[in-house]
Amino acid sequence: MKRNYGGLYAAPQALWLSLFFAAPLAIIVAYSFMKKGLYGGVEPEASLDAYRALANPTLLLVAFRTLWVSLAATAATILVALPCGYSIARSRNQSLGLFLVIVPFWTNFLVRIYAWIAILGNEGFLNDFLRLAGLVGEPLQFLYNQGAVILVLVYMYLPYAILPLFSTIDKFDFTLLEAARDLGASRLEAIVKVLLPNIRGGLVTAVLFTFIPIFGAYAVPLLVGGKDSYMLGNVIADQVTKTRNWPLASAISMTVTFLTAVAAMLFALRSRRKAVHVEIDAGVEATAATRAAS
Amino acid sequence: MKSRLRGAALFAACAIALCIGGCARKSGEAAAQKKLYIFNWTYYTPDSVIEKFKKEYGVELVYDSFASNEEMFAKLKAGGSDYDIVFPSADYVSIMIKEGMLAEIDKSKLMNLKNVDPAVLARAEEYDPGMKYALPYYMGAAGVAVNKTKVKGYEPSWSIFRRKDLAGKMTMLDDMREVMGDALAALGKSVNSVDAGDLAAAGKLVNESWKPNLLKFDAEAFAKGFAAGEFWVAQGYAESIFAEYEEARRSEVDFFIPKEGGPLYIDSMVILKGSKNKELALKFMDFIHRPEIYAEFCDAFGFPATCNVPARPLKKGPQWYKAEDLAPCELKKDLGADLEKYNAIWQEIRVGK
Repeated sequence: MKRNYGGLYAAPQALWLSLFFAAPLAIIVAYSFMKKGLYGGVEPEASLDAYRALANPTLLLVAFRTLWVSLAATAATILVALPCGYSIARSRNQSLGLFLVIVPFWTNFLVRIYAWIAILGNEGFLNDFLRLAGLVGEPLQFLYNQGAVILVLVYMYLPYAILPLFSTIDKFDFTLLEAARDLGASRLEAIVKVLLPNIRGGLVTAVLFTFIPIFGAYAVPLLVGGKDSYMLGNVIADQVTKTRNWPLASAISMTVTFLTAVAAMLFALRSRRKAVHVEIDAGVEATAATRAAS
Repeated sequence: MKSRLRGAALFAACAIALCIGGCARKSGEAAAQKKLYIFNWTYYTPDSVIEKFKKEYGVELVYDSFASNEEMFAKLKAGGSDYDIVFPSADYVSIMIKEGMLAEIDKSKLMNLKNVDPAVLARAEEYDPGMKYALPYYMGAAGVAVNKTKVKGYEPSWSIFRRKDLAGKMTMLDDMREVMGDALAALGKSVNSVDAGDLAAAGKLVNESWKPNLLKFDAEAFAKGFAAGEFWVAQGYAESIFAEYEEARRSEVDFFIPKEGGPLYIDSMVILKGSKNKELALKFMDFIHRPEIYAEFCDAFGFPATCNVPARPLKKGPQWYKAEDLAPCELKKDLGADLEKYNAIWQEIRVGK
């Protein structure tokens, strides 16, 4: 007789998660509802001060800025990652491509940010090259602005988008593209109408895997951003490390976590429903049926 | 079944072996050497000084580092750290005294106390009356570094940040107390002012006259950027700036403490209440204030020997500013709950439009 040990085997994982994920989260929730200690930490006294402080217009301004930087960086990341994932999936040497995508992870991310500073600086490699090529006289200011923040964020999170896109594109049946071409679709139409809907799952994962960490970015705006590149991640860090307001830092984190979770769930749900539609659409008869119904 | 048993036995054997090994090592250590635990700013005491102390007293020394007072304080508050000596700044000395975290210093054990500059001790009265808890380690201030090859015709004043011709070539520290303190000093106010009018005026000065000319607020990488020619004027710490320059290029840099003054800091050595090595801790503090040792410490960072008078003629290396330059500066004090007033204005400055 065989017994099912599934629950037993999963126990360490459950224990691990509840210890190292749920417990810290619970602490953050608790802190956000407590009174701030004068010298950091919290007083054991319930308070909604931190949530009241969220209504501050400067905070809302940072939130909106963070949102647009994250959206722009995510969009750019996906646009770069799509052709990358596609070409790796179609190449004869997939493992080499994947290997190259993963290689940067071997270097500490701070070192990679400093490497970008060395490239983009006024005396950096890019300006040196432009000067040697005679394209510019005075160095161009690439660093310390929103553009630099977005560029480096795209670089940092590109692998997180390429990998899920690759894995779904790899499973895609490319004969469908040929079929689409045979049926009169142009090359672009075939990709937009047949490939993209079929890799929707990968796209959703890629968007979530890049948008969420970018929304909490801290080091990149700190190091390559300018005087107005302050993002929510920086606010949270400063509240903990400089102004000793732990409850406010917790309240901002909680709000962001809550909003991201809700948005991610809605996004995932909506995409799933759409994906169902796509499957139906794929069948010609089904399409006809829908048309007849509408 | 058999294999599982064998695995368990192996595991138990390993655990026992580890335990015995660990215990044995621990007791051996205690017998061999005393250990002094120091919690200090990142690279703030040169290795050569530490080596000399270890050799002379035949002890071990563990040097753990922190990057900010807040980080240090949070770690001590969380407990479980067995540090003997900590190096807080003045405002945190008063906080730690208030919180009852410090042990009183037995001054009779400090033979070199006579070397400490009375002028520094007079300033220290503000946060540690009667020098009961804290022995000054270093007194200094952030200043302004100027790339002389690019910038000409300026005076040592905060007004350099008003210069529109240097817009996009200047940085200030990403530090609320420093920048607000600079603005208050530039307006002739106290760097510890909590007057709403003073603070609003200081915020306005930063926002309207300085910030439009700044490239960024940076407390992490300003020295690297300055040395790479990205910024021509950088407010910051001299030792960070010059650490990025090799000997030959140092003449390109001018470092000044603005004549209007600004926030002054005094970092001190304090002994924690829970320290198990108070005797040895006092020996270390006394050792630092030996003139030749203090001079060696200052030479390593290009510091003037601000806290130790007989060390001054013993200094061999360069110094980026003079002890006298600090005269117009004012000690940064703990503001308690009034810190929130600074924070509100600083948020607006940092967030911008």
